[in-house]
Amino acid sequence: MLVNLLFYTFAVLAVLGAVGLIFFRHPMNGAMCFVGTLICLAGLYALLSAKLIFALQLIVYAGAIMSLIVFIIMFLNIQPEDLPKEETKLFYIIGGVVLVSPVALFLGKIINTLPNLRVDFVGGDFGGVKPVGLILFKDWLVPFEIVSILLLISLVGAVVLAGKKGMSK
Amino acid sequence: MEQSTTYLGLIPVFPLLGAVVIGLLHVFTSTRWKLSEKLYGLIACVGPVLSFVLALKVFFALKALPPGSRFLTHNAFTWFSVGDLHVNMGFLADPLSCLMLFFVTLIGTLIHIYSIGYMGGDKNYGKFFAYMNLFLGSMLILVLGDGPVVMFVGWEGVGLCSYLLIGYYNEDRSNGLAGNKAFIVNRIGDLGFILGMAFLFWAVGAQGFDYLSLKANVHMMTPAIALTVCLLLFVGATGKSAQIPLYVWLPDAMAGPTPVSALIHAATMVTAGVYMVARFSFLYAQVELAGTIVAWVGILTALLAAVFAMYQDDIKKILAYSTVSQLGYMFAGVGVAAYSAGIFHVFTHAFFKALLFLGAGSVIYALHHQQNIWKMGGLKTKMRTTYITMVIGALALAGCPPFSGFFSKDEILYNALASGHWGIWSIGVLVAGMTAYYTFRMIFVVFHGEPRDQHAFEHAQESPAVMTIPLIILAIGAALVGFLNFPGVLTISHWLEPSLTEVHHSSTFLQILAIVASIVAFAVGVKIAYDKFGQAAQEPEFKGFADFAYNKFYVDELYNTVFVQPYKAIGTAIWKTIEPNVTDSPVRGAAKLYMVLGAAFKVLQVGYVRVYAIYMVVGLSLMSFFLSQSLN
Amino acid sequence: MIHNYLFLSIILFCLGIVGVVSRRNFFAVFMSIELMLNAGNLAFIAFSRIHVSMDGHVLAMMVMAVAAAEAALALAVVILLHKHKGKLDTNVFSLLKG
Repeated sequence: MLVNLLFYTFAVLAVLGAVGLIFFRHPMNGAMCFVGTLICLAGLYALLSAKLIFALQLIVYAGAIMSLIVFIIMFLNIQPEDLPKEETKLFYIIGGVVLVSPVALFLGKIINTLPNLRVDFVGGDFGGVKPVGLILFKDWLVPFEIVSILLLISLVGAVVLAGKKGMSK
Repeated sequence: MEQSTTYLGLIPVFPLLGAVVIGLLHVFTSTRWKLSEKLYGLIACVGPVLSFVLALKVFFALKALPPGSRFLTHNAFTWFSVGDLHVNMGFLADPLSCLMLFFVTLIGTLIHIYSIGYMGGDKNYGKFFAYMNLFLGSMLILVLGDGPVVMFVGWEGVGLCSYLLIGYYNEDRSNGLAGNKAFIVNRIGDLGFILGMAFLFWAVGAQGFDYLSLKANVHMMTPAIALTVCLLLFVGATGKSAQIPLYVWLPDAMAGPTPVSALIHAATMVTAGVYMVARFSFLYAQVELAGTIVAWVGILTALLAAVFAMYQDDIKKILAYSTVSQLGYMFAGVGVAAYSAGIFHVFTHAFFKALLFLGAGSVIYALHHQQNIWKMGGLKTKMRTTYITMVIGALALAGCPPFSGFFSKDEILYNALASGHWGIWSIGVLVAGMTAYYTFRMIFVVFHGEPRDQHAFEHAQESPAVMTIPLIILAIGAALVGFLNFPGVLTISHWLEPSLTEVHHSSTFLQILAIVASIVAFAVGVKIAYDKFGQAAQEPEFKGFADFAYNKFYVDELYNTVFVQPYKAIGTAIWKTIEPNVTDSPVRGAAKLYMVLGAAFKVLQVGYVRVYAIYMVVGLSLMSFFLSQSLN
Repeated sequence: MIHNYLFLSIILFCLGIVGVVSRRNFFAVFMSIELMLNAGNLAFIAFSRIHVSMDGHVLAMMVMAVAAAEAALALAVVILLHKHKGKLDTNVFSLLKG
């Protein structure tokens, strides 16, 4: 009972946050809505017995990535007059919804073919740090290494790009 | 029992090889350093001489065989094989082709030697001999071919070489046009030949399309088909051998050098039509009407051409019309089923006509390329050898016994009489008289009397030995070869028997009648010519019928108005109206279509990445739409 | 019921597509992309819960790592673009126009 209530609360708030992201003109407002969505998603992960991912979502996504985005938004000192004039935003949004509905319906149809389980909490160590660590370093070792190289590349790339001089207005 | 012999295939190869070698030498050296003319002359004569030697070898090999199986064959390779049609590049040597081979190679060799002198100083010396060798090779393929298809290869080859050699002096546009005329008129005849071959194949060709198989199967043809084939093949012969209505190219062909006129348009190529009819004697013997039509076309051509020859003033044109006239005799001969008589006239005509042309060439050479007889005169004192040999040739042409022309012409006329064709015989006798008249008109005007152009006369002198020796050899031939087919003994007719299907007549009364009529015609013709031209003749003014005949009855102009101009008008109309709209516009339209489509698609390339993302989403949504349909 | 989680994932993903397609502000587009990635993460975790397997969790972690790397680079690029043109409008950059 409580679980259902929690699920619906988190779900509605996540969707509202996403809608807010799409509609707000100033990116700061959109970012704040998006942070709300991310926190609700973290709650949903917890309801799915994904303990470590719940924590990582809050730390990495909502904590690191979003703070980085908000920092850059504030760094660029965006004034209302810098923002692009989006008169046709509503028209495009409605068009987008129309375009996207077949995709949604198709995916929905696929989901309906799966068996509808009850979502109870899984006991034991499911979703904890230890099982994740074990699997990460046994079955998923190679992707782990590749992702670490990817992070190195992006680190180097970001430093190079941000330090570029000589691009005139 | 036929024997297979490889050297048979080599006979055409030697001149063709010579043509290739000389041609390459000429192409690669004529602009940079000039090779000696003697070198070209030597290489050019090697091929014909070798072919002549091999021709003699063939003759002796055939003589050794019994008459019933007197043929040699050689199959070089299978050319193509489609359905029922199997064509080999094969060669057949039987008595008929052996005879043709003999005089083609002999006269070819003599004319090559003569040309070494005549063409001296010409800047395209090598090209001339390359073409001449190519011609000889093609003619040998024609003669030696073992079936109509191989013969047609040679047929086309000699037509090509005729075109190349007529237009040899290519700085003058009219020579090129004369070459065009020869080739195009020939082509019209070739259409008949090809249709005839097609009908022949359709009727009996499935069991083999070479002469021996056709001869064995010819009885399976219906008379209607046989008549059609005979007439269609004869259309080809009218083109190649200059009969009515396709004779108009031969007088224009005199634009080529004189050795070319001698070899191609007197002795060898133009006789290919007669050879073809003789080859198909088994077919013509099936349908008598075909032979009658051939004979009448031949004799009428002889009459028409003799009328023209009586009024011409260009020495080569006189001889050209004389050739057309004599070819008419040959066709009259083969038309009345006297095939061996017709072929014998081919044989003798080759000697004396080549002699007359080479003699005329000698005169032209001496007078620095003057060809109008009314500017010559009195040359008999200055050019004795040429004079004597030309008189011998003229006597042979006019049919004076005991020279060769008398025997061959008389044989044809006797056979015409004996097989009941009185009309052909009487026209033949009339033409014999006209022949004597125009031949001696030419001799008297050119060699007798006073010189009409004093300056040219002073500079005239006898031609060098390299030109007079072939003249002498040909004169000996023209005088003596008649005895090879003496009436009663008929050696050549017996020799040719295995190849030809003919009937022999023997009626002594008609024989004597024919001989007497021929001699009377000859005497009357020479007398009239002597009376008019023997002493100090002047160029006459032509009026009325004479003027009409001098202009060749305006036949060329008629052909031009009726055939050539409408054809050109059609061509121009197609070029101006149909081509731009029907063939060019779809092509241009296709290119324009792509440009229009490209411009239409250009609209989609806006340059904003967001729009490209929208395209992706559109694609995704369409895809999921269709997939969800199938999921139902 | 597990289907609800999956339907929610679909809704968030489609909202992300709509955001990418309709906004001209760079940050909005970028955050819509992040929204799509998160929707995918939710689907991974839900499926991992259905099969009671840890593979989905590990993949979700990889996605998060990639998203972090991408965020760093994208923000470096937007700083450069802002220096270049002074505007945040994605429509300004149209050099690919054919």
